[in-house]
Amino acid sequence: MLDKIWFPLSLTLWVAAISSILVLCSGVTIAYVFARRDFRGKWLAELFVTLPLVLPPTVIGYLLVILVGRNGVLGQMIFNVLGTGVMFTWQAAVIAAYTVSLPLMVHTAKAAIEGVDREIEYAAYILGKSEFETVLQITLPLAKKGILAGLILSFARAIGEFGATLMLAGNIPGKTNTMSISIYSAFQAGNNELANLLVLILVFMSLLTIALTGRFVGKLEV
Amino acid sequence: MRLGVKVDLKKQYKETEINGKKSTKKVFTSTKKAFTSTKKAFTLDISFEMENELVVLFGPSGSGKTTLFKCISGITEPDDGKITVGSKVYYDKDQKINLPIQKRNLGYVFQNYTLFPHMNVRKNIECGLKGWEKEDKEARVAEMLDLLHIEELETRYPSQLSGGQKQRVALARALAPKPGILLLDEPFSALDMGIRTKLAEKIKNLQNKIGIPLLFITHNFEEAFLLADKILILHGGKAQQFGTPEEIFYHPENRHVADLIGLSNIFDEAKVERYDEESKNIILKSEDMRIKVKSQNLKPGDKVSWGIHPENITLLLPDSGSEDHDENIYSAHVNSIINKGPKKRITLKLVRQNKTLIAEVPAQFVDSMKLYAGGLCLVKLETSKVVAFRSL
Repeated sequence: MLDKIWFPLSLTLWVAAISSILVLCSGVTIAYVFARRDFRGKWLAELFVTLPLVLPPTVIGYLLVILVGRNGVLGQMIFNVLGTGVMFTWQAAVIAAYTVSLPLMVHTAKAAIEGVDREIEYAAYILGKSEFETVLQITLPLAKKGILAGLILSFARAIGEFGATLMLAGNIPGKTNTMSISIYSAFQAGNNELANLLVLILVFMSLLTIALTGRFVGKLEV
Repeated sequence: MRLGVKVDLKKQYKETEINGKKSTKKVFTSTKKAFTSTKKAFTLDISFEMENELVVLFGPSGSGKTTLFKCISGITEPDDGKITVGSKVYYDKDQKINLPIQKRNLGYVFQNYTLFPHMNVRKNIECGLKGWEKEDKEARVAEMLDLLHIEELETRYPSQLSGGQKQRVALARALAPKPGILLLDEPFSALDMGIRTKLAEKIKNLQNKIGIPLLFITHNFEEAFLLADKILILHGGKAQQFGTPEEIFYHPENRHVADLIGLSNIFDEAKVERYDEESKNIILKSEDMRIKVKSQNLKPGDKVSWGIHPENITLLLPDSGSEDHDENIYSAHVNSIINKGPKKRITLKLVRQNKTLIAEVPAQFVDSMKLYAGGLCLVKLETSKVVAFRSL
């Protein structure tokens, strides 16, 4: 029994953590570019990043299968390099979680970066700081509240990810069965005891996330 | 070697923009760039030279003061022209030079201070000292803290400082890297009057000490007068006059300048009647009145406006003499007397001319003259104090 809880729980936390790290690095970069740069087709890029927020998870899963599946453009490249595919692995679960949680990070971080007074950045340039130094030393520290909020939201979204993960990583016990997927399996198999327990843990984790958001983000006044 | 600042630039902003977002269309018309803003199309076209002195930029909102600063600092790129500070060329359209902001070595104090809120005072000041040796850095910070008398604020954060303190920290931060020029954009606008005057004196002293060119934006004419070696008057993106405070105060070149310096008794529709060789004065005909003015490069036939500062009107008792138009002495009715603290504001209606003047006189003087509303007095407009300038 403990085994049936422990594996999904640790896998879910692992997948959510890796996905959140990737979301943090790429999401903040994308957010900065959206907030501070003008380029041709910016609206299209913003639309593209936002899309997973509104698309049904099964559609995202389907599109991801087309992209990273054995015959997909990216999938073939990955296979050529690594000699193995990503479908039905924990990495596939990370890809699914990353895709659905990225827009949450980009949107919150973009709003936070836009909230940083442009003149403060100019003041840093005038004092001789390069744009990169200014981003690291001025802009991001001042936008950290929003970025942290985005990170927590992304993490929560990754923990709860189901549809796209199921399509991309499948439901392989002991390999890709995350919490959400395990709940579904237990329910299907009529194992209500396990389902109840898993649901309870997931609800507790969600509550914890909300509590942390309120606590950290509320405290991080600058 | 005399190294000063040379600015000669053009920058054009074109109409359209929504909500301050940059959806700019660049339109190149000969040499100027168009730019969008929520305001109407606007062109900054300015040229001046200064030494290591304090020049105050004075003009109404939207006259291009801050845009000029943005062009000098490199935040905005001009469309044409040349900007040099000392031996450094900041911008030269012809030679395709546009020095990056980081390399301009200038100090800029923004209107809202722009201190870094997550760094304490020391860290803020250190920010511009990239690449300095540790000891040099510490010595320089100590020097700045001492210079601006903010030693005790060293470990405080900007949110723990008052407006005046923030201002001084911002100045210290701007001066620490030994800039070649200092730009101050309305640094006192958010401060109380008392602190303003103190800080103004401080800046004046600082300028003497550090000996670099200093450009200062203000809306407040008294402040401009107090600080400036020279004043550059801006209106509608163009320099209207550049000169010492006295020149500007007594010889405004046009109506814009006269309005800006608060010359309130202004009469348009006057004409230069003749030049009087003997007294070196010119005689103006202003409707039903003739008035003598010190010559100011005006020729007979020129259409002019004239005026006098309210505090430059001299009042005499009616029995001290009589009207004498050669001396610009006229008799007048006292229409009203309003208390303005230590001064009284007196509205005067000339008896034989259809003109109303406003004078500001020390309260004591009004009391000792026993002036009262409805009474009579003589008004003397000293020729050297009457200001005449070409009509727009």
